[in-house]
Formats: sequence, C-alpha cells, structure tokens
Amino acid sequence: MKALRTALEMAILSLVRQRLRSLLTSVGILIGVAAVVLVAALGSGARSEIDRQIQSLGSNVVFIFSQPAAKSGAKSRANMGMGLTERDAEAIRREATAVSAVTVYSEVNAQVVSETGNGKIGVMGVDENYFEVRGYEVATGRRFNESEAQTKAKVALIAPTAQEKLFGSLDPVGRWVRVGKHPFLIIGTLRSKGQSPFEDQDDRLLIPIGTWRSRVVPTLGDRVQLVMASAKTAEHSSEAERQVKQILMQRHQIAEGEEPDFRIGTQQEFQRMQEGIFTVLTVLLLSVAAISLLVGGVGVMNIMLVGVTERTREIGIRMAIGAKPGQIQVQFLLESVALTLFGGVAGILVATLLMLAFADDLGFPMQLNPAAIGVAVATSVFIGLVFGFWPARRAAHLDPIEALRHE
Amino acid sequence: MSSLIRLQGVSKDYLSGPEVVHALADVDLDVGPGEFVAVVGTSGSGKSTLMNILGCLDRPTQGRYELAGIDVTSRSTDQRALVRNRLIGFVFQGFNLLPRTSALENVELPLVYRGVGARERFRRAARALAQVGLADRVHHTPAQLSGGQQQRVAIARALVTNPPLLLADEPTGNLDTKTSHEVLALLQALSLDHGITVVIVTHEADIAACARRIITVRDGRIFRDERNENPQIASVESHR
Repeated sequence: MKALRTALEMAILSLVRQRLRSLLTSVGILIGVAAVVLVAALGSGARSEIDRQIQSLGSNVVFIFSQPAAKSGAKSRANMGMGLTERDAEAIRREATAVSAVTVYSEVNAQVVSETGNGKIGVMGVDENYFEVRGYEVATGRRFNESEAQTKAKVALIAPTAQEKLFGSLDPVGRWVRVGKHPFLIIGTLRSKGQSPFEDQDDRLLIPIGTWRSRVVPTLGDRVQLVMASAKTAEHSSEAERQVKQILMQRHQIAEGEEPDFRIGTQQEFQRMQEGIFTVLTVLLLSVAAISLLVGGVGVMNIMLVGVTERTREIGIRMAIGAKPGQIQVQFLLESVALTLFGGVAGILVATLLMLAFADDLGFPMQLNPAAIGVAVATSVFIGLVFGFWPARRAAHLDPIEALRHE
Repeated sequence: MSSLIRLQGVSKDYLSGPEVVHALADVDLDVGPGEFVAVVGTSGSGKSTLMNILGCLDRPTQGRYELAGIDVTSRSTDQRALVRNRLIGFVFQGFNLLPRTSALENVELPLVYRGVGARERFRRAARALAQVGLADRVHHTPAQLSGGQQQRVAIARALVTNPPLLLADEPTGNLDTKTSHEVLALLQALSLDHGITVVIVTHEADIAACARRIITVRDGRIFRDERNENPQIASVESHR
C-alpha cells in the first residue's frame, strides 16, 4: 500500500514536470467523457420527459381511433366511412368489464373570436367523462352539467394557451367567445397539462359533444373521432384492449381475420414506442461519444510511448539503483491512469457546467445520474489501464545497460 | 568468504552478427572489503562488460559471481534489482541524475525503491548530501549545479543506502582536472572512513594512480593485477 502511494507520488511528479503535455493528453479523455456524460444525461432527461408527457394523457387509457380500412373499393359496407359512433362508446361502457370509464371526443381547428382577441384553436366536443379519463382539472369556474350537455347548451371551458390567445390576462369566466356564428359562454378554465407527444394540450376550448355536433360540425351525425376508455388498473390494460376490440368487431360486423375499421392503442404502447425511439437514439449517440473516448485513449497510449522512449535513460537509472521491472511498470501505468482519471473528472465537471449553461434552452431537464458519473470515472481508469499497459510493459522490459547508454 | 567480490571463471560472449565476440574470457577476481581498486584498459578491452557484471546489470555467459557471499549469477531479474539496491552504489560518467528533479529527490530515489518512509528518506538523503558537501544545494536541480556538484549528488545517491560496494564508471570522464581530483578525494575518503569498497573503471593513468590496486584488462582477460603501495592522495594534488 505504501509502495503504491510512493509510486503514485512519482507518477504525479513526472506528469507535473510535463504539465502542458499531460494537460493536452487528458483533454482527449476529457472530451470523450464529457460527451458520454452529456449524452447519457440528455437521454435520461428526454426519456423522463416522454414519460411525463405520456402520463399527462391520463391513466391507463385505451385509445380507439377510427381508421377507414378501404384497401380496395370493393370491400363491404363496413368500409363506408362508418367510423366510430357515440353508440360504440355506449356499448363499450356497458359491456367491457375491464373498463372504468369511456369518453368520446371530436375536435376541429376553428377560428375562435373573443372581445379581446382571436385565433385558431382546437374546439373539442367532449362528454362529461372526458375530464376523468384524460385527467383535466378545472382551475376556476365549473364544468358543464348533464342538463347543459343534453340541451346542447353553448357553454365552454378554456385551457391556458387558448385563454392567453383570446383573453390575455383577463379572467375569461363569464365572458363570451364566438365559434363560427355561435356565441359560447365561458364557464370555467382548465389547469395546464402541457405538451403531449402529439400536441399542445392547452390550446383548447372544450364544449359538450352534443353542442359540437349540432353547432360546430353539423355534418358528422353521431360519429366521433376518438373513443377513449380508461382501464380499471394498469394490469387491466390489455384485457380492456381485448374486450374493446371484441365489442367493436361485433358491432361493425367484421369477421375474424378481416381488416378492422378502427385501431386500438394503449398508453403503455405509446410509452414503449416512444421509449424505444429514444433508446435507439441514445445508444447511437453514446456509441459516437464512446468512439471519441477511444480516440482519447489512443492519444494517451501514443504519448506514453513517446514518454517511455524519451525517458529511456531515466528508466535505466531507476533500474540501476534498484527498481524492479514491476515497479517501473506500476509507475508508468499509474501515470497513464492519473492522466485519464484527471481527464475523466475534468470531463464530468465540463459536462455539468454545459448542462447548467444550456438547461434553459433545452426545455426539459437533463439528468446527471450518479451511476453515469461512476461509470465515467471507472471507464477513464479502465482506459488508462488498457492504453497504458503496453507502454508500461515496454518500459519495464528495457535492458538497463542499453537504457543507460541511451542518449 | 573474506572477499566482497569473487569472480570464478567468468566469461561473457556477445553475438555480433554471425560472429561471437568474447568480451570476457575466464576471469577470476577477488576484491576484499574496503579495497580501492582501479580497473583500466583501452576501449573494447572488456572493462565495461566487467563493470556491468560486477554491477549485476548483466549476467555472465559462464562462471560464477559471488557478491558479499551471495551467488548472484543465477538470480532472477527482481532479485538482482534487490541486490543492486542493497549492496551496490553506482556512479556514472554522465552523472545520470533525473532531470528537473531536486538533488534531494535524486538522492532519495534508491530509498524510495527500498520502501523507506518519506521522513526517514528525507533525513538520510540530507545527511548523504551533507557528507559530500552539498548541504546548501539540496533543492537545486541538476541544471542548476556544476558538473562536479552533479557528480557529488550522484555519489550521495550511491551512498545513501550504505552499500558495501561503490562502482564508479569513468566518474571523472566529464570533469576538468581540478574537479576530477575533488571527486576522487571524496571517493578515497569514503573508502578510508567508511570501509566502502570502491571500484573505479577508468582509462586515465593519473586517476588509476590514486587507487591501491590497479587491474589492467586487455582482450577480455585480466592482463595485470598490481598493488600500488603509494597511491596518489587526490586531495593533496588538488591543493597544488
């Protein structure tokens, strides 16, 4: 242990004597480690952002999209653009036991005008279950009630982005907006839900589905764009998916093996898909970063070999006064490890500083996890050992007589 | 057993291209404790090979070498490193100090490889430097020292482990006459005061004249081995 400490002292002394060279050599490792740490932090940050966005869709949601299955015009009446209807939702609500709530919505981007502003906003017709399934919370005011839904009342709830566009800082509750030629009374505001993987969930106006059908897009009948079912628990998710599929196949009279006119996706599937994309991206970036680390390691080896040649005489002296080959080897190995370790630690610091500097521009937080730091440190030590081994071995195997004669 | 150095039938052959060169041929040599020996010879005579074998830097092709009663002929590389560290102090023609390293750190180096602790190292290195008259130069690097001072640092480094044998390979080769004699005087004093065996390899007759025993090597053999009853006292000469 003491011998190792003295060897370390000697190694560090040698490196300090060649300050500039040591510094430049470790810059290679610094860049590599910084790149790896940054990419890892970026990856895990992006992943948790995706998780958060998917969570914001609701909990255990099964999405049922209408999908015109017309592959060839000759194919049966199921393809007549029937799509999903409110009665389908009704059936699911009634029959699917793994489902706790079902909601429908239709959306159209429409020009909405208020007394103080106007803009293209997603106007959504929703039923009263929509709030639960999608996890929308009312910030001020209230939701529409059952009688308002049944009487197709012209009432609306407004989400933050839309509120900002139409009313700025004014309190919208009790004010009016106009969609097409119909005025709507704002009865409540919604809490922000942020970005989903698909869209800004805050740029919306929510009105009763009945009102939407008769006032906003009167041509659709009782068809809806999307049915969403909330599975009872995460474990019920696939059961719910199966039940929904069965019910709809039956209702739409689609035979087993035939292409259905709808598509089902669960929240878990979205999550897996998104995470899959990010894993691939992260792995790609990490391999590029790892290559730069490898290049840094080769640089260390190169400099160590130059050092062994330059210091041949010194090695001869050390051997003459009683250094064993093993001790020479350990000294040179420690020199290369000290170089790479220094580069590694500096790389982590640089990566951290860069993260702090660019945190605001990125829009989501990067996560510097302790495991990544540990791996980075271990990797730099490992690189020092691997790329220092051969030069150190060469130093240890020098013939002392030849080495002493070396000019 | 009374000899410090005992060579028996030592030969060293080199392969130089297709030809075998007999650098040393069947050399017998005994050097007792406290002797002051000069090995002289022209270049190519084999005196450097002899030196390397005495210094445990090289192995003989044939024969046996005992140092302080230890047969070092068949020792492993590590064991011979240990022998060099414990029993031999080296002084070279080119001083061979580590550059950009203080005199003190240079002198401490053999103790580092012996595993001596930092405080003890400092104490012994400082004492060795004082012994060679460089107590006020401990923090100077070789570049800041004159040739004679550098060689004295090298002698301090050879002495710091208290070895029974000090091998000096052309120790005055790079020094002017006055400094040469100062260095020689130091070696003589060490031999006398501490009973260290000193073996100097040289090709200069006046340096050899300072030794009590002069061994002449020629064509890989000991050509002449004579006592010098009236060795020059280098220090006297240096004061002329």
